[in-house]
Amino acid sequence: MPARTILIYPHLGLKEVCAPITSIEDGVRSLIQDLIDTMHAGPGSVGVAAPQIGTVRRVCVVDVSKSKLGKDNNHGLLVMINPEIIRREGASVMREGCMSVPDYTGDVERSVEITLRFQDENGEVREIESSGFEAVAIQHEIDHLDGLLFLDRITSLKTGLFRRKNYK
Amino acid sequence: MAESGDAAVHFAVTIIGKDSPGIVAGAAEVLFRLGCNIEDSSSTMLGGEFAMILIVSHKKPFSKAQLLEEFKVFCEAMQLSVFVRILSKGEIRFEMPSGEICMVSVYGSDQPGIVYRVTKELAARKINISDMNTKLIGTPEEPLYVLMLEAVLPEGIDVEDVSRLLEKLKKELKVEIGVRSVTPVSL
Repeated sequence: MPARTILIYPHLGLKEVCAPITSIEDGVRSLIQDLIDTMHAGPGSVGVAAPQIGTVRRVCVVDVSKSKLGKDNNHGLLVMINPEIIRREGASVMREGCMSVPDYTGDVERSVEITLRFQDENGEVREIESSGFEAVAIQHEIDHLDGLLFLDRITSLKTGLFRRKNYK
Repeated sequence: MAESGDAAVHFAVTIIGKDSPGIVAGAAEVLFRLGCNIEDSSSTMLGGEFAMILIVSHKKPFSKAQLLEEFKVFCEAMQLSVFVRILSKGEIRFEMPSGEICMVSVYGSDQPGIVYRVTKELAARKINISDMNTKLIGTPEEPLYVLMLEAVLPEGIDVEDVSRLLEKLKKELKVEIGVRSVTPVSL
């Protein structure tokens, strides 16, 4: 299966809430393969969600095992169908960029640890605990399934670390 | 957005004056009326002043005089200073420096030379500052200085190197200096 073109906002599909997958038929299997191929084709890409390649269904893939930040703490290739975060803990900020929003980055707060429930490519329900960079990547990809971009989550201007002085 | 590139002329515009509501809207209205595109901009409050820095473009033919003329009324009414400079082709076609991005935070008792000493060390190693803000906070009895900057590290220099580099300044100036990576993650 070929790597597909990553759609760039303002492509409308990127702002849609994706439909759940009800059965893992051939179409879903080929979608999964396309997502994996697209992720591997993108330089340094660690995840792709179905709406980024034009299919508004709840499937995404993440693999941070080859990245500097994720290589020591990961589950390898994760194929996630109908993923749900059922527990969150902590919060930390990372500067994120997204293939669907080129040339822009922003500081986004994400949970540090998550418990995730999803179906894998065989339809088996799995529950995993994830933390660190992998957890950030999973949260970013699941956001795509809900029509959210990192732009919807930026909480501060670039260097908003200190509250402004009150001159009044 | 209207045409850009060779068919367009680009300007750097700086607007500064006593802060009040409506400065951004007023400046944006002038630019909109003229048919200018705001390509990049950054605005903030500095002290009681509000400062805007913008890169704007307009389809040719268009002159700096036309732009200034339109700004005149608005700036006089709101008591703002405006400065306009035409950008050369070389300035428009730039490439963002690529490399690891680090944030340097410096804070401590106010004293002359904090900005100079820190940035001199960086400049000497060709470390390019991409963003910086400083603020004088605290009380008149105990003024505290805060400096935050982001810099793009050239090849061969990493965050630890910058940290080591600023370590001796930390002792000398008796300030806190933190260096951390803020390189964006591509998702």
